Amino acid sequence: MPRPMWVGSLSFGLVNVPVVLFSATRDRDVHFHQVHKDTGERIEVHRVAAGTDEEVAWDELARGWETDDGDLVVLTEDDFQAAQPEKTRTVDIDLFVDLEEIDPIFFQQPYWVLPRGEGEGPARAYRLLRDVMEKAGQVAVGRIVMRAKEQLVALRVQEGLLSLTTMRFADEIRDPQDTGAVPSLEDDPPTEQEVADAVALVEEMTADWEPESYEDHHRERLLALIAEKQERGEVTIPEPEPEPEPQRASKDLLAALEESLQRARDRKRPGSRAGSPKGPVGTPGRGADDGGSASDEAGAKTGAGKGAKARSGTS
Amino acid sequence: MAARSIWNGTLTFGTVAIPVKLFSATESRGLAFREVRASDGARIQHKRIGVESGEELAFKDLEKAYDTGTGQIVLTKEELSAADGPRPKVIEIEHFVEGEEIDPVFYDKPYHLGARDGGAHAYRVLLAALEQSGRVGIGRFVLRSREQLVALRPLHGALGLQTMRFHDELVPADEMELTTPKKDPSAREVRMAGKLVAMLADEWDPDEHRDTYREAVMEMIEAKRRGETPQLPEREDEGDDDLLAALEASLAGDGEGAGRAEKGSGSKAKAKSKSKAKGKG
Repeated sequence: MPRPMWVGSLSFGLVNVPVVLFSATRDRDVHFHQVHKDTGERIEVHRVAAGTDEEVAWDELARGWETDDGDLVVLTEDDFQAAQPEKTRTVDIDLFVDLEEIDPIFFQQPYWVLPRGEGEGPARAYRLLRDVMEKAGQVAVGRIVMRAKEQLVALRVQEGLLSLTTMRFADEIRDPQDTGAVPSLEDDPPTEQEVADAVALVEEMTADWEPESYEDHHRERLLALIAEKQERGEVTIPEPEPEPEPQRASKDLLAALEESLQRARDRKRPGSRAGSPKGPVGTPGRGADDGGSASDEAGAKTGAGKGAKARSGTS
Repeated sequence: MAARSIWNGTLTFGTVAIPVKLFSATESRGLAFREVRASDGARIQHKRIGVESGEELAFKDLEKAYDTGTGQIVLTKEELSAADGPRPKVIEIEHFVEGEEIDPVFYDKPYHLGARDGGAHAYRVLLAALEQSGRVGIGRFVLRSREQLVALRPLHGALGLQTMRFHDELVPADEMELTTPKKDPSAREVRMAGKLVAMLADEWDPDEHRDTYREAVMEMIEAKRRGETPQLPEREDEGDDDLLAALEASLAGDGEGAGRAEKGSGSKAKAKSKSKAKGKG
């Protein structure tokens, strides 16, 4: 088992469940070292006291808070915990809500929650909380302090385990209207015909949500270009395709919607694979020429026999 | 004043092309600290040092290298850009799905979309179609040299774009080792805990929740500045030996503590009743 990311308790009424949190995500990125471009010499990042060559080890680091009048207050991890000890060690469950009420924009980092230690007490309290939450079908909302910052959390049952997802506070989410770039619906509103055609296209392009069918093309392309450089000593850099022309006039938009609808219908005729990702952008190939082959394979793998299923929601 | 966009390009679905710009949908409210040396508060500087030469190397002289196990392959920034694929300025919506099919665990970073020159009308049409159909667009685009899987959906009268995790970035539950209790919770415990959940059931109102720890940190900083040393109490072993007693105490009386608490002050009220309960035991 990996190392826990947080150690503490869930507090539910007066019941305490000692728990540990493990990350529920993992890094699958292709990693690189930083090297000197000519010699290939690898570098290391050293932390030094500014203006000197004195190296500062990890355990000598602290956080500094600069006051308005320029003073520096040095803060250690203990100071942060002492600021509100019960908070840094406890997730207090404040309320239970329905999962669908929480917009996904709030969700941040997911963790798995496990009882702390091997003892019978924590294991039983954990089991009890899991069972009642499963029965209630609701999500517990509480708070956690991690890395000197408080966050909301949503606690729920997934695959027989408790999971905890950190959530943003409402004041950490911007109002889209503040961007000044969201077109208002009042002036020049969409016509009924335009919306009806767009809805028809959206429905025609609807498939089941199958997370396993999405591969990380970036990772595939990186590994392919590394192999190319290794074999040939160079990498072919594709010329980026020009951005597609927008349909500025309403009649052009209607024509594009209808053309797309026709294409989507053609694709869904018997024998074709319904709902699999298509198109040159959705393929791992780097050049426009070889685009498509890999996605055809992926499509064939997951697409077999699901043509009927993909339409079940809308037919 | 209009915000600064972080990416400009074109959103496509079918052959429809909408010029758009992208904005971050979040802002950090965390306190900003400096990295310093604990002993004297000296600021920390990061230096890139050659492993063999011990010399400091300038950032402009660095490239990325991939470790093959038997050697390394150096790639220039230009060569790495080949991983962006042929359409780096396009958000291509590949298809649509029912919004409620997507488990929230897949959602990662949120962004807002705005319209760019000539895109306003088609933007509104797509927004109206998504609001009407309840569907979410799934697509891909390259942001900061990294292709992202994204979900497109209506949010607060605008098009929202949220990056998505790939399924293999999620750690499956079966990789976790769960200790099974020797004795299952009793029927009575389950019943009482169920009551407690029902008492705490409420509606989700995000605006009711605010960061309260931040104030405590600011107070702690002030105390430290006056020369006081914050005291960290010993960690108690919070395990409850008597689940039933804790459940009973939660349901009984101390209504303000365990009951439908005013949010925000709820944890304080609970802390109070907690110490009372401990006194009793």
